[in-house]
Amino acid sequence: MTDPKPGITEREAIEQAQQGNEAAFEVLYNLHKRRVYSLCLRMVSNPVQAEDLAQEAFLQLFRKIATFRGESAFSTWLHRMTVNVVLMQLRKKNLPVVSLEETLETDDQFPRKEFGAKDVKLTGSIDRMQLQRAIDRLPPGYKSVFVLHDIEGFEHNEIAQMVGCSVGNSKSQLHKARLKLRDYLKFMRAEKAKTG
Amino acid sequence: MKCSDVEQVLQELLDGEPDSAFEVCSSENTAAMRLAAPDVEAHLKSCPACAELAADLKLISNQAHQLAASEEPPSRVWVRIAAELRAEGLITEPTKIEPVSIRPAFIPALIASRARWSAWWLAPIAAGLIVAGSFVVSHQAALQVARHTPATQATNPATVSSLNPAPASVSIPGPKTAAATSPAGSEPARQELAQKPARATDLAGRAAEDAVEPAPSDEDQQFLSVVSTMAPYTRASYKNELQAVNKDILETQAYVNQNPGDMDARQHLIDAYQQKALLYQIAMDHVQ
Repeated sequence: MTDPKPGITEREAIEQAQQGNEAAFEVLYNLHKRRVYSLCLRMVSNPVQAEDLAQEAFLQLFRKIATFRGESAFSTWLHRMTVNVVLMQLRKKNLPVVSLEETLETDDQFPRKEFGAKDVKLTGSIDRMQLQRAIDRLPPGYKSVFVLHDIEGFEHNEIAQMVGCSVGNSKSQLHKARLKLRDYLKFMRAEKAKTG
Repeated sequence: MKCSDVEQVLQELLDGEPDSAFEVCSSENTAAMRLAAPDVEAHLKSCPACAELAADLKLISNQAHQLAASEEPPSRVWVRIAAELRAEGLITEPTKIEPVSIRPAFIPALIASRARWSAWWLAPIAAGLIVAGSFVVSHQAALQVARHTPATQATNPATVSSLNPAPASVSIPGPKTAAATSPAGSEPARQELAQKPARATDLAGRAAEDAVEPAPSDEDQQFLSVVSTMAPYTRASYKNELQAVNKDILETQAYVNQNPGDMDARQHLIDAYQQKALLYQIAMDHVQ
């Protein structure tokens, strides 16, 4: 393997990757692998599927790397490509990317605020694994917007464009997602307090 | 001003949306969007329930942001990507001859044979890690009790680290166990204690102890010496992968110690051990 020189910048790695340098590809992969994989994992909640999606996102990026001219940040380019790969996968499986029904909510499987958890407070930090578990329980539509906005940092106008909804819908979905997460976390905290 | 009115605009305020956002969305929620932010903030100061709601939603949003880029993909993802790139001809530069090959002829042979010979131990260790991971997770509570009884406490060092989170009492080469240092007396006691359920209060107090970092295990050090023969970037990649999976094992093990009934966490711990075993396997494949 031809090793890029120590201290290579991302720009230099891109240039060398455009010439077919394997080590340069690996440098770019290592720079962005956590963000790409984390995004995939949050959206599909399945590690095996997330691996496949992350692999596909990088492959698509590397296949097109010769066309990258540096007009935008490389990470932004990769990030958008990853979201497109994931959304395409969700659509293939006929999973709702964004809930279009803003008022219809079936809470049969979700704890209601009225039953036992309303006195529990969320002060302090939230346990990371509990938060991950709560996010995994969100309906697919809410989860997409929450992941893209609160975790990945996309703006609502970007999310609306990516998932095919209105800005207002995106904001509404986000708010509902946060409310639902609050309920889940309070419920989990109440359950934990009961079991000691 | 009603609490329901405030909740409708809470998302805008939490995200620091510019005032123009109110006008953009006015067609969808005209009543709420006409409220001015200062009025909402005044309500929050006087209404504890709404204030708590706003604080909770902000906390969730902030904590969520920390989850970005928090997960490490397994090594096999890069392996598959590289293989695909080669198959598609996107990797075109010839493989550079390793620096070691320009040394006198007998040295590369020695290094290559040492790497191949040294790598053979990875296969059984890889298999052992998977078995060990399953054993540890299924007996986690019993291990905690056994680890902290008077017979074992003096001899059991802290067991987890960023480079060596191997469990204390599993029979793979690695950290010393109570059985190794006081073989006769403690084994029956440990077996008896293994029957007792662990108490959550005891386990919760051990989390800090579980996070202490001892020296790297012999296996990890041997693994690192094997990958030291690889190209610098590959070597660094393996080292980073090892650190990442060990960190994952460390954190998950500490969480399982506090929450022994959490099956998801236990499965995650098993998965982490399997990932480490796979890393060893991939390294072995690489040097052969």
